[in-house]
Amino acid sequence: MSKYLYILCLWVALSIASCNTDYPSGAEYENYQFTNLDQNAGTWKPILLTSNDQIFIPAPEPTTSEAYLSELKTMKTTLASASSNAVYWGCNPIIRWNEIARDLAAKYNLTPAPNDDGTYPSPSAANPGVYPYFPFAHPPYASRAFAYLSAAQFDGLIASWHYKYKYNRPAVHITDPSIVPVFHASDLPSYPSDGAVIAAISREILGAMFPLEKEFLKIKAEEMQKNLISSGINVSSDIIAGDSLGKGVAKVYLKRAVSDGMALAQTNRQVSDSIANAALARFGWKWINQESPVRPVGITPKFGKVKMWNVPNVESVRPGPPPVPGSDAFNVAVEELKSFTKNSTKEQRKIANWWSDGLGTYTPPGHWNRFATDFIIQYKMNPIRSARVFAYLNMAIQDAGISCWDSKYYYHYPRPIQLMEGFKTSLGTPNFPSYTSGHSTFSAAAATVLSYLFPNEKAKCDKWATEASESRIYGGIHFRFDCEAGLEAGKKIGEYAIQKALVDGAD
Amino acid sequence: MLKKYFHKIGISALSFFFMFHGILYSQTPADALLMEKGELCIAAMYQNDSWNKYWEGILLRDNKNIGTLSRSNYIPMLAYGLTKRINILATLPYVSTSASGGQMAGTSGFQDLGIFTKVKVMDKSAFQVFTAAGISFPISDYLSDYMPLNLGLGTTEISLRAILKYEYHSKIYFRGSAAYLHRTTTEAERDYYYQDGSIYSTTMDIPDVLSFDAALGCWLWDHDVQLEALVGTQIGQSGDDIRRQNMPQPTNKMDMKNVSGYIRYFPSFTQGFSVFGSVSQVIDGRNVGQSQMITGGITYQFPIFKSTAQ
Repeated sequence: MSKYLYILCLWVALSIASCNTDYPSGAEYENYQFTNLDQNAGTWKPILLTSNDQIFIPAPEPTTSEAYLSELKTMKTTLASASSNAVYWGCNPIIRWNEIARDLAAKYNLTPAPNDDGTYPSPSAANPGVYPYFPFAHPPYASRAFAYLSAAQFDGLIASWHYKYKYNRPAVHITDPSIVPVFHASDLPSYPSDGAVIAAISREILGAMFPLEKEFLKIKAEEMQKNLISSGINVSSDIIAGDSLGKGVAKVYLKRAVSDGMALAQTNRQVSDSIANAALARFGWKWINQESPVRPVGITPKFGKVKMWNVPNVESVRPGPPPVPGSDAFNVAVEELKSFTKNSTKEQRKIANWWSDGLGTYTPPGHWNRFATDFIIQYKMNPIRSARVFAYLNMAIQDAGISCWDSKYYYHYPRPIQLMEGFKTSLGTPNFPSYTSGHSTFSAAAATVLSYLFPNEKAKCDKWATEASESRIYGGIHFRFDCEAGLEAGKKIGEYAIQKALVDGAD
Repeated sequence: MLKKYFHKIGISALSFFFMFHGILYSQTPADALLMEKGELCIAAMYQNDSWNKYWEGILLRDNKNIGTLSRSNYIPMLAYGLTKRINILATLPYVSTSASGGQMAGTSGFQDLGIFTKVKVMDKSAFQVFTAAGISFPISDYLSDYMPLNLGLGTTEISLRAILKYEYHSKIYFRGSAAYLHRTTTEAERDYYYQDGSIYSTTMDIPDVLSFDAALGCWLWDHDVQLEALVGTQIGQSGDDIRRQNMPQPTNKMDMKNVSGYIRYFPSFTQGFSVFGSVSQVIDGRNVGQSQMITGGITYQFPIFKSTAQ
C-alpha cells in the first residue's frame, strides 16, 4: 500500500510543479518581413495635422559626418542579439502600445464603490490618485483613449515617413553592413526613427489619459527607444528626432482633447436629472439605475456631445425612437428575453459571456482592437499600415460611442430589469440607459471598418458583430430593438470613417 | 460494548463540507474513522451556506446588489470498507445558489464528483495515523467564472491529507489534520481576463490550498452521542485579490479560518442509523464570504457481505 501512496505523492508533486503555466499577456508573434514599406506614405493625408511637415524636423548630419560615425560606434557597443526586450517590442511596436492601452483600460475599468452613507464618490481628474482613482475607464472613456492614441500614432508616422524619404538617411545596416539588425532588415530610411515617434506619442497620449501611469509609461517608452539602438535599427540622432516629432504631434492631439467636450461628459446630479426629466416629458419614460444604493448619475450623460471624428453631426445618425413600453413590438421583445432566461442553450450562454467585456476588462472597444491586432500580424503589416488600421478603427469606435450615448440619453430608455418585474439576468446591467446597445453600435462600426481594411475577413467581422450584439439579449440586459438600432447606426458610422480612408492616399 | 463501539466508528465516514464562492472544501476524509471490510455506508446531507458580508481582498464589506448569498447543497454519499484499513468514499453534491439583492440569476445543478480513499497507516494503542487521498472533478458544464453565484470552481482537485488521532480511554479524542489540495485550472467562457495584468486565455489557474484543522471531541451516553468542536484554516497558495468593487473570479487567493461544532447521534434502539448536524462560522478570510453554515444529515450503514462483516 505504501508503494501506491508514494506513487500518488509523486504524481501530486509533479502536477504541482508543472502547473505554473505562463498565459499570454499579449499577441505572440514571430518577427516578420513587412509586406511592403509604403514608401509614399509621407504623402498620405493625416487626420489632425494640417500638413506632413507641420512639426519641423531639421535635416540630419550626413552618414559620413564625424557625429554620425561616432553614434554608429556607440551603437555597436550596445548591440545585443535578440534580448527579451527586443523580442517583446518586436518589429511592430504599434501592437505593443495598443496592448498597453488595453491593459490600462482593463486596470482602470472599475466603478466606484459606495460610501458607507450610501452616496457614491466620483473620480477626479484634478486628484487622480485619490480613490476612486481617475479615470474610470468605462467603454466611452476607453474608446476615446484608443482613438487619440491611434490617430496620433498614424499622423506621427505619416510625418515621419515624409521626413524619412525627404532626408533619405539610409538604414543603419546599409551604411554599415557589419551591423545585423535583430529584426528582418528593412530598407526604410532611418531618420527620424519611426519607433521613437511611436514611443513618444504613446507615452504622451496615454499619460494624459491615465495620469497615474506616467512613470510606468516613461519607463516603457525609454526602454523601447533604447531597444531600437541595441537592436541595430537606429542611432541616437534618429531617436532624438523621432522623439521630438512624436512629442510635437502629441501636443496637437492633446490640444484637441482638452476641448473635445469629454471634461463635461460626466455631469453632476442636477444636470443628469434634467436630462432624464426632459426625456420623461418628451416620451413618458425615463431610465433609472437599479443598483443599491442607487447610482444617482449614469456613466457620462453628455458623452453624446463630445466632438466626433468623422461624422458631421450626431443627430444625423441618431436612430428613431424605440417601441413604447406596453406596445406590441415591446411585448415581443419582452417575451423573447423571458424565453432566454428560461431555456438558454449552452451556446447562448457562451456567447453572452464571450462578448461581455464588462467591468475590469478592456471593454468592447478593446476587444475589437485585439481582433485588429491579429489581422495586422496575419497580413504582416508595417507600422504605418498598422497605425492606419487602428486610427480608422478607433475613430469609428469612438464616434459609435458618441452616437450611442447620444441616443441613450436622448431617449433615456429603461433597461429590461426596470421594466420587467422580477426579471433576473446572467450579466450585470450597466449604469446607463438601454437604447441603443453600446456593444452593437461599437461592434457594427468596428466590423464595417475592419471589413473595408481587410476585405477577406468581412464574413468573420460581420459574424462577430452580430454575436456581440445578440450576446446582450442572451445576457438579459438589452431588448432586441436596442441591439438592432445599434447595429444599424454603427454601420453608418463605420461608413463615414471609410469615406475618409478612401481619400487619404493609402489605397 | 466493544463491538458496538467499533460499529459506530465504522459508520462515521463523513464530517464537514464548506462551500465558499463555490469551493467545496471537502473534509470528508479528514475524520479519523474507518469502516469494517465489506460495509457500506449511505449518507444524505443537506447544507445551507449563507453570507451577507464578504472579504474583498482583506476588506470586510457588504454589497446590497448581492444582499445575502445562499447556497443549498444536497450531498449524497457512499462509503465502502474495502479492507479493515482502507475505505473508499464517493460524493456528488447538487448545488443551488441565489442572491437576495440585485438582479443576477442564481444557478443550480450537479457539481463535482469526489472520490476519496482513506488508509490507516498506524494504530498504536491510543494513537492512530491515517492518510487520505482524493480526486474531484466537475461532472456538469457549470460556469465557474460566475462568482459568487457559481456552482463550483470547475477544476480538478487532488487532495492529500494526513490525520493524527489520539484517544483517551475511548471517551475523549483529539484529532489534527493537514492537507494539500492541488487544483488544476478552470475554463472561462471568455479568452481575456485581468489578473495583475492582461491575460489572453480562456484558462484560469486555481490556487492550491493548504489546509489545517484541529478537533476536540468526546463520546457521551454510552457512545450514543458524539460531540466535536473544530477549528480550521485554509490558505490559498497563490492568486490575486478581488479588485475594489469588482466581482470575484476563480483566480482569487481564497483564505479562511472557521470554527465549527458537530453533533451526531446513534440511536441505540436501531442498528446502523445515525443523524448528525453541525454549525460552522467563518471568522476571518480573504476573498471569501463570511459564511455561516448549517448542516444536517442521516447515515445508514450495513454489511454487504455477511461473511466479511465481522
